[in-house]
Amino acid sequence: MNCEEAIGLLNGYLDGELDAIANQEIERHLHDCRKCAEIYASEQNLIRTVERSARYYRAPADLRQAVQSSLRAEVSGQPLATISGDGHPILSDRKSRRDAIFAPQWSWLALAAAIIAATIIAVNFVPRSQSSRADQYLATELIAGHVRSLMASHLTDVASSDQHTVKPWLDTKLNFAPAVFDLTNDGFPLIGGRLDYIENRPVAALVYQRRKHFINLFIWPAESVMTTADKTMSHQGYQLMHWIDGDFNYWAVSDVSDGDLQLFKEAFEKQLPRR
Amino acid sequence: MAARLKAEYVAGSEDFDSTAKIVNFSVLGGHKERQTVQGSEVASFETLMLPHLDAAYNLARWLLRNEEDARDVVQDAYLRAFRSFGGFHGSNGRPWLLTIVRNTAYSLIKKNQSVHVTTTFDEEEYVVDRGPVSPATQLEQNEESKFVREAIDRLPDEFREILVLRHLEGLSYKEIADVAQLAPGTVMSRLARARAKLKEFLKPSSGKEI
Repeated sequence: MNCEEAIGLLNGYLDGELDAIANQEIERHLHDCRKCAEIYASEQNLIRTVERSARYYRAPADLRQAVQSSLRAEVSGQPLATISGDGHPILSDRKSRRDAIFAPQWSWLALAAAIIAATIIAVNFVPRSQSSRADQYLATELIAGHVRSLMASHLTDVASSDQHTVKPWLDTKLNFAPAVFDLTNDGFPLIGGRLDYIENRPVAALVYQRRKHFINLFIWPAESVMTTADKTMSHQGYQLMHWIDGDFNYWAVSDVSDGDLQLFKEAFEKQLPRR
Repeated sequence: MAARLKAEYVAGSEDFDSTAKIVNFSVLGGHKERQTVQGSEVASFETLMLPHLDAAYNLARWLLRNEEDARDVVQDAYLRAFRSFGGFHGSNGRPWLLTIVRNTAYSLIKKNQSVHVTTTFDEEEYVVDRGPVSPATQLEQNEESKFVREAIDRLPDEFREILVLRHLEGLSYKEIADVAQLAPGTVMSRLARARAKLKEFLKPSSGKEI
């Protein structure tokens, strides 16, 4: 690979979007060519700056409510929307706020509807086999754990980016000793560890960050009869990835893309001692 | 070159999504039943799409550069998404929703172009989603954050959009191509141009006079 080819593929390489062969070739080139290595470092630096400093605008607290009430107005046929110039409705803030005040009963209807829907979903996510039904329940439990951890400022019991702090803490609380790695170099800094309770047993939850998103990695001992095939699924808008390595079950849960979750898994596995 | 890009990350991905079933229930007779079914349709829509509210707002906020418009666009986009929810069969709702947010944002931008030329910045906002840091570090981070934001805000829409999708949302090239309606082969080159432009704006000499 010459310099021109390497620079042409550099962005794809930085984004982890090249195939394995192109990756190897470009790595070899960067190793040998100082000029390209410098360009690579500067690009990487730019990306780090953006990911560290560009603000992630979280939705204002009342926006969720406003969205929900406009959806309910939509199905009940109330003319809530004002028509803007190009013919599509733009909801005025005052209007939706007024609706939220004048229609408090909707929140109860919403709750009832949510319960009905949850039941329908539970019944309708009809699994093809017993094991995938078990996966469904487990996925729901894992997502609940993930969401809970983000909600109540209870992301971590032990907040540390140091694996040598997190691991001993977990070891004293659990009857197994999961592996703990900081993956900052791979773009997944360790935020801390937490105890969680999944499938009627205490499990370890390691919390990692990816850009402005969090990944919960749940770990507990694997049972010998279980399959070792990796599994990914998407459930309730979250990505889940499951794998088994040696003695442990791993479930990663996050709202990052499945590509990022795959990278996360590879980064984690790279740290495990080869058997 | 394009052939060397990975087509898909995850093999053997299992799709558990079955919301289409729920949506299709809605052709039942009787007003009361219809209400309930629509209620559950809303709920299943919300279950899949509300987790992406932050992503929707973040994209709209970066594209429109002000809070009021971003709120309007997110609300409107959710309504549009709900109306075409029957057409959603994928397992990953985020790119699907972001596509709608993006289109809604652009129709507002187009409409506003004749109305107001300047954009308001809310300078008092500062970064909140970080762990405890010392006041000095906080200040430094805010300074850098403001500097980076201003540089990104100066970029053309299509560059700002692709940087947000890649670096704040972490979307893959394939997902970016879907959201920004680009040919998959052009995502990498547009990202390269966006980064080059941003780098230019971040150079101390060119960026300080803002």
